[in-house]
Amino acid sequence: MEKVTVKCKTAVSGNVRAELLWSNEPISFWGTVDPQSGLIRDNRHPNYMQNMSGKVFAFPTPKGSSGTGLIILEQVRTHCAPAAIINVRSDPVVLTGPLIAKRFYGVSIPVVNISEEDYAKLEGAREVEFFEDRDEIDIYY
Amino acid sequence: MRLTDYEKAMLNGDHGEIRQQALQALYDLATFYDVDQFVEIVGCHDDSTVYAGEAQVAFAEMLAEKGAKFAVPTTTNAAACDINLWDRQKHDIEVMSATRRIEASHIKMGAVPTWSCAPYHIGVAPSFGQQFASAESNVICYYNSIIGARTNRYAGPLELLCGIAGRVPYFGLHVPENRYAQGLVKLGDDIKPEYFVDESIFNLISYAFGSIVKDRVWAISGMPTLGVTNEILKQFSATAASSGGIALFHMIGVTPEAQTMEQAFGGKAPQETVEIHLEDLANAERQITNPDVTDLDAVVLGCPHASYNECVMVRDLFRGRRVNGNTTFWLITPRSVVDRLKDSGVYEDLVRLGVEVYSDGCILEYRNKKLGTNTMMSNSGKFDTYCFSMRGIQPVFGSMKDCIESAVAGKVVKEAKPWRK
Repeated sequence: MEKVTVKCKTAVSGNVRAELLWSNEPISFWGTVDPQSGLIRDNRHPNYMQNMSGKVFAFPTPKGSSGTGLIILEQVRTHCAPAAIINVRSDPVVLTGPLIAKRFYGVSIPVVNISEEDYAKLEGAREVEFFEDRDEIDIYY
Repeated sequence: MRLTDYEKAMLNGDHGEIRQQALQALYDLATFYDVDQFVEIVGCHDDSTVYAGEAQVAFAEMLAEKGAKFAVPTTTNAAACDINLWDRQKHDIEVMSATRRIEASHIKMGAVPTWSCAPYHIGVAPSFGQQFASAESNVICYYNSIIGARTNRYAGPLELLCGIAGRVPYFGLHVPENRYAQGLVKLGDDIKPEYFVDESIFNLISYAFGSIVKDRVWAISGMPTLGVTNEILKQFSATAASSGGIALFHMIGVTPEAQTMEQAFGGKAPQETVEIHLEDLANAERQITNPDVTDLDAVVLGCPHASYNECVMVRDLFRGRRVNGNTTFWLITPRSVVDRLKDSGVYEDLVRLGVEVYSDGCILEYRNKKLGTNTMMSNSGKFDTYCFSMRGIQPVFGSMKDCIESAVAGKVVKEAKPWRK
């Protein structure tokens, strides 16, 4: 596989490599993601019926309800959380679940931010790898 | 980060494992946002209270089991249901048992059991300029805008960690320079001062304001400065927070950080100005109301929870007439208000009129399928914004007076208004 390395700003660190689910649409986990399966079940969302469980989930920005924190935490409990999250801009709402998972349950869901330009490059990629001690990610095509 | 000795000790685990983990998570957040210090908070509003899944309950129980205590006075938000009258509200036993576990764990951590999304109506709110942590959108917007206290939009259960650590990263709306308005919404000449006699116009202006402003800090000018009650401002604030994700707005001449344009904008000029007109109010009403409803199954007031004064207004607007036999009327208000209503005899009056008075719960958790409710009406822009996605019903919006006239008739009755053509 072809590999491209891009710089990132790390919110939550960790080592993981997984398949990518890429979206070009902001998302509110609350009301959109089924916390028992990881499915996107809002038919207005372009990734309708796709599953983020165990995948690197990339979406440009979070939106909407502060209930998102509890949904991601429930996904951690039911083992259908994303393996990692990539945003252009994260807010404290989307970081809540991964920060608590890391500090209280020892579960690592890396969250990083990358530039809009690099975000566009992600489209069509197959896998992404994250590193505990590096502010960069490897994108595999 | 520049840490105090106390914060260093907390991160070192000298104040127990839970305080250490809580501050570590907040430290991670601070690092990500390039924040170099924490700021102490005077209180916390705990929004991890409406049941949303086992992880939420288990997390609070784990914290309580390990001896976590709130370091600052902490109020509890609304629960899913009335903790005593849940059965009459047709809530599932599973929801009630989860709610009891939430209640037990949050009280064990030292929360003040207010069970209300309107703690400001019952005298437990921060003061001007004080630092605070809240995760409930209407409380965030009310405290920031109407009181002038300072909180960011936290997300449940992050606010629990803020309350346990007693501090938050010093960023966003905690910092005075970030609180100035950037843009301005002005009222057009066709929105005349006399229209403000009907308080529902505040909801419509607020809905339009939120749609324009999204999650930025903006001001609105041209609003009346007399007779604007806390209840009216509550509706404005809750609706703006739900139509746009607003955490802080400035109402020129009304809210405390906007006594003048200069104060609201920090001496600068607005970067952008948008004028709204009657047509925008008509559009706003179309977004939050269902035009096709005639017969009304339920009227629900108390989103956010009604104040004592609002409960009295409801009673008075009935003028002795009763709720129609085909319609259910719910009024949700904080527990301590229910006690006052009972002391003053208003509760008995409301019951005689056919009003069901509840506390603790959230009307967005209304069990419409079990209650056989297909049509609903409320005076709340927030309720009407979320009701369709949460309950599958597009409600009817009207003023409190419209709601009571409709409840008496059992059919939607709305006054003619300049924006209703």
